[in-house]
Amino acid sequence: MKKIIALLLSSVMALSFTACGGGTAGEGGSESAAAPTGETLNVFVWTEYVPQSVVDKFTEETGIKVNLSTYSSNEDMLAKVKAESDGAFDIIQPSDYMVEQCINQGIIQEIDLSKIPNFSNIGDAYKNPSYDPGNKYSVPYLGGVGGIAVNRAQITDDIDSYADLFDPKYEGQLVVLDDFRAVIGIAAKSLGYDFNETDPEKLAEIKEQVLKLKNNIKLYDSDSPKSALISGECNLAFCWSAEIALANAENPDVEIVFPEEGPYLFFDNWCITSGSQHVDAAHKFIDYMSRPDVMQEVLAEFPYLCANTAAVEAMGEEYSANPAKNPPADVIAKGSYVKNLDTDTIATYDEIWTELKK
Amino acid sequence: MTKHNFRSNTLPSVIMVGPVVLWLVFFIAIPLLYVAVMSFCSIDESYNIVFRFTTVNYKRLCDINYVQIYGQSILIAVLTTIVCILLAYPFSFLIARTTSKSKAFLYMLVIIPFWTNSLIRIYGWRTFLGTSGWLNMLLMKIGLVDSPVNMLFKRGTTVLGMVYCLFPYMVLPLYTAIEKLDKSLLEASSDLGAKGPQTFFRVILPLTSSGIFSGSIMVFIPTLGYFFVSDILGGGNSDVIGNLIERQFQSGNNWPLGAALSIILIVITLLLVKLYQKCGGDMESLGV
Repeated sequence: MKKIIALLLSSVMALSFTACGGGTAGEGGSESAAAPTGETLNVFVWTEYVPQSVVDKFTEETGIKVNLSTYSSNEDMLAKVKAESDGAFDIIQPSDYMVEQCINQGIIQEIDLSKIPNFSNIGDAYKNPSYDPGNKYSVPYLGGVGGIAVNRAQITDDIDSYADLFDPKYEGQLVVLDDFRAVIGIAAKSLGYDFNETDPEKLAEIKEQVLKLKNNIKLYDSDSPKSALISGECNLAFCWSAEIALANAENPDVEIVFPEEGPYLFFDNWCITSGSQHVDAAHKFIDYMSRPDVMQEVLAEFPYLCANTAAVEAMGEEYSANPAKNPPADVIAKGSYVKNLDTDTIATYDEIWTELKK
Repeated sequence: MTKHNFRSNTLPSVIMVGPVVLWLVFFIAIPLLYVAVMSFCSIDESYNIVFRFTTVNYKRLCDINYVQIYGQSILIAVLTTIVCILLAYPFSFLIARTTSKSKAFLYMLVIIPFWTNSLIRIYGWRTFLGTSGWLNMLLMKIGLVDSPVNMLFKRGTTVLGMVYCLFPYMVLPLYTAIEKLDKSLLEASSDLGAKGPQTFFRVILPLTSSGIFSGSIMVFIPTLGYFFVSDILGGGNSDVIGNLIERQFQSGNNWPLGAALSIILIVITLLLVKLYQKCGGDMESLGV
């Protein structure tokens, strides 16, 4: 008898726990219902990528509240979206290969382009990408090139390819992205192989090549590689073009070089989650973010490669002629995206990376 | 068995203990169990966890590269612990043996920095030690060096950061142990003709060894997992086990492998605590 009552009591407690959980969730819902338009968009974006001021203006214009939360890796984003309940996020910003994964996993829904008239501002070169033919699920936002940065005050040699970074004379001078696909990808490129190489024999060669970087790399940093360039900590970098543009603004000796092998490319896109409760508002937001005047404000702060050709034109010569801010079209045409690889190949990549970093 | 009995005996204890038990079950036991189960799971082609039994994750843990990183972690943790003991022992002695007013002051010196987020403080070190940082500027000003010294992104900087982060965890148990030290024993030792060093090594050190033990455990174990310190100050060149786990849960996107690595970390921790108990360590001074 005692045991039964104890059991009952503890189950009552357990229930009240869940009831508490349910209660707060309910309150959260009614709170958003009380907002001016009754709508709150939950937007999940990369860190240092969407200025708060731009989002505030959207709320001013439409009355739709926006909750901005951020992530710093695609995988992190995917995990969170999958773990949260439907509607926790309305809009996400996956990169190229991740768009494909999101489509395959049914995480994002089709976008109605007729509700996004500003889609016409997107340049033709950026429409209809390989990872989402016909832009059924995604609207391109910003992207970039994995370029080489050289501090010309310190290094005067000719550097024009990824292969040059592997030269032993640059010992302890290099900052690279802390990203295994990027670093192994450029090692493959430097040997003339594919950026997403899967052939085991070629991967063995690539491994030898990657290990040559070990002594050259002083720092792995994906968050702010520009700091090491600006402070003079590192004289060479393999990092995003926008980081190089920002470093160049602080220290004009830092110049961008586009590798002759063709660069590593990425592109981030607006997508609407399948579980979104505010599909119309989400379309409005994406349309707003595709307006040239809005994108100009974004570019002033974050000078990435912009799909919004109208905005780039409006930024003027200073912007469009700066190769770090607006990499030339022929460079983009030669670039490669990260592709989704099978788990065995990824395990090999992981092995190479661990050996490099141990 | 009457109702009365139940009320007076069982009900209060269920009410008192029940919530704690539920808390432990839901937030510690079940998550740990989940990690253990996950470490035997597989992933499918789109990196989702599939509940299909495999030991492949554990096989991968024996990879020579991983083993070398465990070795490196342990080396970093040992160095961190030794430096912490050397720095914290005299300091704790000072706190324990000073007047109550300066005691509070010294105590605050340890505690107050920890009111700031550790990430920010670690970034502070990075700025301070950088080639264009204050320390290098100072060294150049006073003419000790001609060009900036490369201090950052080495194993030594990782150890420095770890020591800085974990210093209080060494000071607190040491302080408790030294505070408990009976002064009359020191008097007896000197009455019997023991010199300073002799008293220290034969009386003080053995009597405060429990503090050294528990401090070491509290420094050693977190060091294995503090991936952000080795990321920021080590520049990714001196990874600890924590970095391996973080990588599998983030960019590697292989949660079962990350779970298996976490299990390794838990096993190392348990072994160390067992060892600590074997050596006569007191679980209470670990705050358990």
